Amino acid sequence: MTPLLAAAGACGAASLTPVGTLAQVVGQFLSLSLFSLGGGNTLLAEYHHLAVDTYCWLSDAQFADLYALAEAAPGPSSMIVGLLGLGAGWPHGLGWALLTACGAEVAILVPSTLLMVAACLSWRRLENSPWRIAFERGLGPVTLGLLFAVGVKIVQTAARTPLAVLVSLLVCGLMLRTRWSPLLFLAAAGVLGSLGVIHR
Amino acid sequence: MTDPAARPSSPAPPSDFEPLAPPPGLRELFQGMLQVALSAFGGGLSAWSQRLVVERRRWLSEAQFLTGLTVARLLPGPNQINLAIYIGTGFRGLGGGLAALAGMLLVPFSLLLALGVAYFTFHALPAVDRVLAGVVAAAAGMALSMGFRVLGTYRHDPFALLLAAAVFAALTWGHLRLIPVILVAAPVGMAWYWPRAGARP
Repeated sequence: MTPLLAAAGACGAASLTPVGTLAQVVGQFLSLSLFSLGGGNTLLAEYHHLAVDTYCWLSDAQFADLYALAEAAPGPSSMIVGLLGLGAGWPHGLGWALLTACGAEVAILVPSTLLMVAACLSWRRLENSPWRIAFERGLGPVTLGLLFAVGVKIVQTAARTPLAVLVSLLVCGLMLRTRWSPLLFLAAAGVLGSLGVIHR
Repeated sequence: MTDPAARPSSPAPPSDFEPLAPPPGLRELFQGMLQVALSAFGGGLSAWSQRLVVERRRWLSEAQFLTGLTVARLLPGPNQINLAIYIGTGFRGLGGGLAALAGMLLVPFSLLLALGVAYFTFHALPAVDRVLAGVVAAAAGMALSMGFRVLGTYRHDPFALLLAAAVFAALTWGHLRLIPVILVAAPVGMAWYWPRAGARP
């Protein structure tokens, strides 16, 4: 039951056909969609579990890279799902990679989008329902716990040296204390990396 | 279930919104959300949506926008994408929701895929890898800050902190998976916070 052994043994050899990979990706993201509380970032640790530990679509370092890429690019950072699909399909060639990427993004969005449309159309009835109030208040603390678990998981994945952890903590503090653009932190850390100050 | 009385925050106009400007068509919804998505380099999406939707285009009042943000945050799915769906659906039904969603996603997603392709092609180059080694450390700090940002809200609520700590422990040290943890923790939270008669704000 040790996750480390499972991670080492479970994947690697299992290579699927392109269609098999696509189906695997779509199925996994479809089933996670409705559990994306608190804006979807709460799923990051689960994405890591799927992409790195369970199916070996990506290495630890690649997962961290793609997370940074999705944070830095314009648009919602939840689009990292597309990048995970891209990585899963990459061994099958560019065409399959792009198709798997789109499949992943559509799969994570369809269930939550349909629920959102339904809720918008009936919001006036839902608004004062005790279910709505209990859902909103009750899931807040759950989301809080999930966000901390995600933060710790991403730091464990991305920052492997004491200095890298220090940089993570510093950026975390600055994110909370200043209103500077996150791009500034990413760029500054990129420069430190290229100078060889921070390494993996 | 029907509302006992229309509350001031939720007037019931004939359509879902009482627009301050003429209601946007599908093309305008698409373009508006596209503009928001492209403005928000590296975050701050909701501030940009508010600026465009409330201040510039005057599609929604401040109060309507905040209701939308509440719904978007409440339901599963990325907040900004949900907000786009809320705005689009409110004006033009399902088609409007999809137009707004496409505007929010199409160009940024294509751009991200191009970046992704570049990444998988070049990440093995030592120079690229060294830059990324630094960038991921900073990005991890951003992930870590998400929890702290919400923590203050629950400062005076011991039950909330306990529930959050239990969820954190189950995932981090218990190595339990997200779905079973939510399926157990969510009903516990909902039962605790179920509105009691007379205690409603």
